[in-house]
Amino acid sequence: MSAPTVPNLLRDHLADLAQNDSRLDGREQFGARELKLETGILPRAEGSARVTMGNTIVLAGVKFQLMTPYPDRPNQGGLMCSCEVRPIAGRHWEAGPPSPEAIELGRVVDRGIRESGCIDVDDLCIIPGEKAWQVILDLHAISDDGNLFDAFALAGIAALRSAIVPAERFEVGQDSPLKVSKKPIMCSYHKVGGRFVYDASYKEELGGDERIHITLGDDNHVHSLQKGLKGIFTADEFEEIMEHAKSRCAELRKIVD
Amino acid sequence: MGGYGDVQMIDENGLRMDGRKPGDLRPISIETGVIPVADGSCRMVWGTNEAIVAVYGPMEAHPRKIQRQDRAVIDVAYNMAPFSTTDRIRPGFNRRSREISKVTKDALESVVLLELYPRSKIRVSIEIVSAEAGTRCVGLTAASVALADAGIPMTDMVISVASGKVNDVVVCDLNKEEDNYGEADLPMGILPNTGELVFLQMDGDLSPDEFKQAWDYNVDAAMEVHKLMIDALKGGDN
Repeated sequence: MSAPTVPNLLRDHLADLAQNDSRLDGREQFGARELKLETGILPRAEGSARVTMGNTIVLAGVKFQLMTPYPDRPNQGGLMCSCEVRPIAGRHWEAGPPSPEAIELGRVVDRGIRESGCIDVDDLCIIPGEKAWQVILDLHAISDDGNLFDAFALAGIAALRSAIVPAERFEVGQDSPLKVSKKPIMCSYHKVGGRFVYDASYKEELGGDERIHITLGDDNHVHSLQKGLKGIFTADEFEEIMEHAKSRCAELRKIVD
Repeated sequence: MGGYGDVQMIDENGLRMDGRKPGDLRPISIETGVIPVADGSCRMVWGTNEAIVAVYGPMEAHPRKIQRQDRAVIDVAYNMAPFSTTDRIRPGFNRRSREISKVTKDALESVVLLELYPRSKIRVSIEIVSAEAGTRCVGLTAASVALADAGIPMTDMVISVASGKVNDVVVCDLNKEEDNYGEADLPMGILPNTGELVFLQMDGDLSPDEFKQAWDYNVDAAMEVHKLMIDALKGGDN
């Protein structure tokens, strides 16, 4: 992503809106855009999901490969999460090797899913020391109007939950649904006009400061946190968004079911 | 072409494995305006192929060395998503997608009125999210719909179809098995209003008569697809 020019006009406008407790599209501070989740939409993937959040659209696809378990973990398979934001997603995304932004996206989503333990890697082992499943979750942005993080995380967990292990094609048993025991959900907050808002649009990201990503698992256990971009926040601010994340994650968890 | 001649792909009634007659196309659906942040976009589902195309621009061309003083340049990026095929595709540099990007760019630069936008760039991003066979054709056809959706002036649309040969029978619009085990593949990019060509590739083995038949199938199919494209653009999905 080339460094975008942020006009002071946009920053000033966002600050004015924040003063009046409003946002560019009229949402409340913690208001979300309209959200749509569809699964089983990619015929070639073993599991798939499309998430639409306002004008942001992402796809997630799950593929399986056979791997040799690592020598120090002979009874475990693997989970890999890879993220690509190609130029289709917006005029500010350029072709070429993954940008630091895209790598951060993939890794933060990966941590939330991995650390929640929703996929039992021991269960992915077929023959100890010889054969195991590698589950690959590919995240693909189609339209970026901000908050790709939450869209990817939601599409990712939904795609995994819809995945079928293609054992028959690899001649290692019978096809069965991939076991996904938990539902980690991410909520992201951007500092815009001096306060944190939920589910920022691209313009808010552009004219905003730091961002915080929180992934909560079942029973509100915290599984991953990430603070991105330049900025300073207080413990009180963090507590406020954490409280909102708890209620919003519970709502989103119902949508994933 | 695999040339696995023993795979039977035409039954005793002359029908293909998916029930089509030799000259039939797979089912096609076209939708425009599917990417809200793009200037023009198109989703084309063609059999089990699905291409999503975004057009951005005309915009400033940078780096400046790619600028042309008398015309615009088109930057085409064709890519297959990792989950678009049975075996996952590793993301990253790939000679096949570079070649397809190039021939798609060459085809589109032949119809877009580039001289209207000197020193600028038009970006066309083609993502194949599900692949069956003939993704380059679907990508090019969808790109021309997306350009029209973006309001970019063109002398004509481009429709790309591939015909080929299986079990010594010339068939239109090859599916995956026919592409893998067939004996020839002839993709063409056709301008529906003049019948001119802007894209042509071929591999395999065709006799002069078979070649003529494959060519005619492609031209007839292009006229059929053209109607669907016009409907999609007029339909007001946008």
